[in-house]
Amino acid sequence: MSGFFEILTSGQLLLAALITGTIYATVGLGLNLVYGTMRLLNVAHGEFLMLGAYVAFWGFTLWDVSPFVSAIVAGILTALLAVALYFGLLKWCLRNPRMRKRIEPNSLLIFVGISVILQNLAALAFTGTPRGYQYLSGVVSFGNISISANRLGAFAFCVAICAATLIFLRLSIVGLAVKALIQRKEAAAIVGVNVTRLEFFSLCAGFATAGVTGALVSMTEQTTPFMGFPFTIAAFIVIIMGGLGNITGGIFAGLLLGFIETYGVALTSASWSSILLYGVFLLALILRPEGILTTRQAVR
Amino acid sequence: MLHRRSVTFGLAFGLTGALSLPVRDAAGEEPPVRIGFALAKTGLFAAATPAQLNAYHFWRDQVNEKGGLNVGGVRRKIEFVEYDDQSNTGNAVKIYEKLITDDKVDLLLSPWGTPSHFAIVPVLERFGFPVIGSTASSVHIRELKVKNLWFVSPSVHDKLAAQLVQMAKEQNVRNAAVIGSVLPQGKEIKRFLVPALEAAGIKLVVNEEYPPDIKDMTALLSRVKAANPEAVFVLSYPSDSILYTRQAKEMGITAPFQWLAIGPTIPAYRKIFGSSANGIISMGHWSPAQSRWARAKPFYDAYVARFKEEPDYLDTVLAYMSCEVLEEAVASAGLDKAKLREFISTSTFDTINGPVKFSGVENTTTPVGFLQIQDEKFQIVWPAAIATATVKPKSPW
Repeated sequence: MSGFFEILTSGQLLLAALITGTIYATVGLGLNLVYGTMRLLNVAHGEFLMLGAYVAFWGFTLWDVSPFVSAIVAGILTALLAVALYFGLLKWCLRNPRMRKRIEPNSLLIFVGISVILQNLAALAFTGTPRGYQYLSGVVSFGNISISANRLGAFAFCVAICAATLIFLRLSIVGLAVKALIQRKEAAAIVGVNVTRLEFFSLCAGFATAGVTGALVSMTEQTTPFMGFPFTIAAFIVIIMGGLGNITGGIFAGLLLGFIETYGVALTSASWSSILLYGVFLLALILRPEGILTTRQAVR
Repeated sequence: MLHRRSVTFGLAFGLTGALSLPVRDAAGEEPPVRIGFALAKTGLFAAATPAQLNAYHFWRDQVNEKGGLNVGGVRRKIEFVEYDDQSNTGNAVKIYEKLITDDKVDLLLSPWGTPSHFAIVPVLERFGFPVIGSTASSVHIRELKVKNLWFVSPSVHDKLAAQLVQMAKEQNVRNAAVIGSVLPQGKEIKRFLVPALEAAGIKLVVNEEYPPDIKDMTALLSRVKAANPEAVFVLSYPSDSILYTRQAKEMGITAPFQWLAIGPTIPAYRKIFGSSANGIISMGHWSPAQSRWARAKPFYDAYVARFKEEPDYLDTVLAYMSCEVLEEAVASAGLDKAKLREFISTSTFDTINGPVKFSGVENTTTPVGFLQIQDEKFQIVWPAAIATATVKPKSPW
């Protein structure tokens, strides 16, 4: 019998963990950008992902467009939605310092409403019938490891997004400004960072990431108007564990979550996966509430 | 003095008054027959209910095209009173009570899912309002002893498990893996399947459970693959069915007999997997290929013409069958509740799935059946009495 140890050290399991983790990391990335810069609690994050999934589905079904191309289109469309939201609603909610202070609780309400509206609009427009399509579903093998080509493609795309974001934040001047903005908004403004413009940019980038991930996910899961919620939950766990606004932390937390889910199940049994996941999450909150990778700050 | 405000009020009152008058056609048509139900349009079940909602709407439009529902000899157009129960059985109960007492509907159709069917039983019994159930199956329906609810689904889980094992035995299966969702249906099927397998002499090489929100089955399926069973029974819901199929394909699980509980009958499943899904067996007892049922193919063709995709071979069919039973009952017994109860309990109905007759609350005419995807289409492969094709081993992924 293929030993317990053999399964544990198999490349198949490692790849599964990596892919799950990377998708979690990418989903959390978008949310982190939005929260880190604007302190918006985007509980509608999963719904933007859902919209991206539908873009890919309709793109493939109606016009034979590859989901990878649709991912870019989805990103642009969700970014445009972000623009509309910003000018239509959010700008008004940030119009003066008093409103700015209340943005976090306000945003919770706003985005709950947006989430419900988007879900129901999608249900009205597309019906609740689950959608699916077959793209690149052949199995690719490297030695002992086999994976569906579409999942591998999604993995590669997500890795690219995370890597590009990290490089951007570290090496480009705009990226550094975004980091400064996340770290300390007032100080960033003082040193000449155009806060409003960068917030707007981060908002669009964050939403776009959700749309792109949705398009990628639609290749291997069924697309329904209500598919977004589990992703929203996962995204929040990721960003809280990694430290709110800490992009690197978020990516690390996403990977960690993927590994816990996959290896936890392998070590114990599938019934334990939720217990392990939320158990680790609770532990992280108790031991390092500011985030796993965030350095504690002494407030004097 | 004629203020703008008083004119507006006057107009408003006038319009409201005019619109609230009972609408009678110039031709003096009969008032519509109002049929109420609650279905989850939002929430957890919302991905599953469109199959049933489509069936209801399709039935209503078909009947109305023929001139309306035959209510004891008089044709009346069907008008639905539908509500969203938000995937909450508590809401479903309140809505059905409202439909009976407040909206005062003439007839009721069933909600989606076993929990909701069970939840509305007290309401139906209290008001003596007969309803034909659809998308519900559980051994507990026999314990219900209700007078106002009947279940068209034959797939009660003890019968299901027995038939499943019999089919596996005929395929010379000697060992099997069972992986089940921990949700009630998965657990109930397992409760009967495991002893039935053991009684039939089929060795259980893997017996595991997984949580409903499982994201990765690699470890689970590695164990299944290592055990190399001849049959894999996945007691799943749609998302896990899709996950299992994808990962079983990736890992190359070559068991010739693979059965998934719920999921393959949803059109999206075959769209996602195409020819890879050939050979997968699932729960279901209907196919348009069964020429003995005169209504089956016309229903299928009309449905596809309207919705541009196939019906769900399980939920849509069950929901439509429940409508057909109601239609036949109302044609004979009108809207009188006692007469309806009498008629439903004793008659044999003709549906798209052949004859349906209730013994108590159970449909004892329609057999527990299994469908297999062959050439990307569904064939009934069990029981032999209604089969449209024989069971084939799972083709290579």
